[in-house]
Amino acid sequence: MKPEKQPVPFTILLADDDSDDCSFFEEALAKFPIPTQLTFVHDGEQLMKLLTKENTQLPDVLFLDLNMPRKNGFECLSEIRLNRKLDHLIVIMYSTSLEPEVVNQLYKNGAQYFIRKPSEFSEFKRIIQQAITRLTQNLTNEKQGSFPQPDRENFVLTVQNDLIS
Amino acid sequence: MSKDKSNKIENEGRYFDFQETNFDPLISENSLKSRIRIVEKEASELLLTDKEIASENDDRNKQATELIVANKELAFQNKEKVKRAAELIIAGRELIYQNEEKEKRAAELVIANKELAFQNDEKEKRAAELIIANKELAFQNDEKGKRAAELSIANKELIFQNNEKEKRAAELIVANKELVFQNNEKEKRAAELIVANKELAFQNDEKEKRAAELIIANKELVFQNNEKEKRAAELIVANKELAFQNDEKEKRAAELIIANKELAFQNDEKEKRAAELITANKDLTTFTYVSSHDLQEPLRKIKNFVTILLEQEEHNLSPEGKHYLQRTNVTAKRMQTLIEDLLTYSRAKSAEKKFEKTDLHAIAAEVISDFEEIFVEKKVKIKVHGFCEAAVIRFQFRQIIQNLISNSLKFSKPKTPSRISLKSEIVSGAKTKIKSLSAKINYCHITYTDNGIGFDPQYKERIFEVFQRLHNHEEYKGTGMGLAICKRIIENHNGIIFATGKLGKGAQFDMYIPVKQIE
Repeated sequence: MKPEKQPVPFTILLADDDSDDCSFFEEALAKFPIPTQLTFVHDGEQLMKLLTKENTQLPDVLFLDLNMPRKNGFECLSEIRLNRKLDHLIVIMYSTSLEPEVVNQLYKNGAQYFIRKPSEFSEFKRIIQQAITRLTQNLTNEKQGSFPQPDRENFVLTVQNDLIS
Repeated sequence: MSKDKSNKIENEGRYFDFQETNFDPLISENSLKSRIRIVEKEASELLLTDKEIASENDDRNKQATELIVANKELAFQNKEKVKRAAELIIAGRELIYQNEEKEKRAAELVIANKELAFQNDEKEKRAAELIIANKELAFQNDEKGKRAAELSIANKELIFQNNEKEKRAAELIVANKELVFQNNEKEKRAAELIVANKELAFQNDEKEKRAAELIIANKELVFQNNEKEKRAAELIVANKELAFQNDEKEKRAAELIIANKELAFQNDEKEKRAAELITANKDLTTFTYVSSHDLQEPLRKIKNFVTILLEQEEHNLSPEGKHYLQRTNVTAKRMQTLIEDLLTYSRAKSAEKKFEKTDLHAIAAEVISDFEEIFVEKKVKIKVHGFCEAAVIRFQFRQIIQNLISNSLKFSKPKTPSRISLKSEIVSGAKTKIKSLSAKINYCHITYTDNGIGFDPQYKERIFEVFQRLHNHEEYKGTGMGLAICKRIIENHNGIIFATGKLGKGAQFDMYIPVKQIE
């Protein structure tokens, strides 16, 4: 084992119009051991403007809410996957409801994961932390930006006890 | 004297002649008798004078001979006269006859005369009449002469008029031709109008059909809207309950009030949206999905806030405060379930109808294995008999079995382990004698029974209605959607479901699903 350098924070971009959800997200990462840097955008237009800006530093992961004003998560995902500069960006879709048809379509459109926002805060915290843990583990193993899409049955992330022990 | 004698002889001769000629016998007899007496007298006289006579006799003989000759002459003449008399009689008779004839003829002539006289009179009268008639005819002749003169004048006038009319007729022929031409033009135009009319009638029919379709679509929307309004009302009630509980904890859970207000606001929005949907003719299924989705978000947040409070602010809460927060959490959870069930119910109809030939028991086995832990824990025994393969939407059929088992578990008798039986067989629609099934096709008949608390048979329809519950949710948890979802799914498969049961005697659900779905 090499001695660890000053850790580079794991950058997270959260696109969610709901400020409560943003603060839940912030709260969920409050005592998280992995250093993270969280940025917010509050609608799809703002998101796309930020991502396509000249010389922009892309985040390690984008948490993309489905229901947003002006441009929804669905449209943003399609635009991201059609943009050659963005097509390797890791996108975790993130929504209150779970519609099988919607989830199928998002999988087809190339999102990495789907998370249903839990209603118990403890679960909320766990699932966000688990997802980030999984991604950071992956980052150490693989080249950044080439995170493969999982199988369909693993597309929807659920709280897993084994990962949080 | 001799002359007398000769007369007598002559008479005697005549007598005999009379007899011989059959002259009247009566006259002959009387004259004979008288003559006999005369002869007898004469005989006696003759005897007295005989001798005298005898002398004279000779003389007389001579004379007698002469007399005989004379007599013969006379007799001959007599005979002639008799003949002549007979002829005269005949002639007389003839004359009498002729006389009579002439009298008749005279009488006839008298009648004929009278007739002639009458006819003569008549002819005279007739002649007089003819004279009068002649005069009359002469008069009439004069009149006719006058009239003929007048007619001649009138004729001239008519000829003139006739000429005028011929001119007019010629003009009319010209006018007629013009009219015929115009008529043809009008017929063409009429034909064009008929074509145009048909087109319009066709368009009209199309529009009527479309209108009928729109009416049906409208009715459906109105119905869906009503359903939606009922649901909204339920949600409002739930919201109020939530608001009430939140008020109790106002100071410590200010965020919850805000969230609630937002929920109430979203509810109002939803109602507005429902109203807009009627006019916009939008599909209510989409609306249900969207609005239910929107409702989930604030609820989820309420729960998040509550759990954050319970987890992170526990030391700041009084036991009472903690209790109310827990109640808030339970209530929010309940509303969440309601919304999820409503979504499932809505999806049961809107889902893509992808029917697959499926072994229904394999699905049942899958569901049963999901329940395994609970079955062991609650000592539930489940028996499955028979085998059915039918065209179903897999995840929906799964949902039915899942809901029925959950139902049995929920409504099991306390302290009595549940006994569930699931069996199936294929029957023809005709054999079931159920009117709403098609007699021509085969159905998979699934019978599900349990030994739970059952239900009052009067509620056998109501238990399938949305949000219908027979128990309050303190007693038995649930949203009252499970069986409504089952019914909707079965109907989605063109099948039927019905329940039979008695209070305290378990429930039975009979389902009929077509073995094949007709495209």
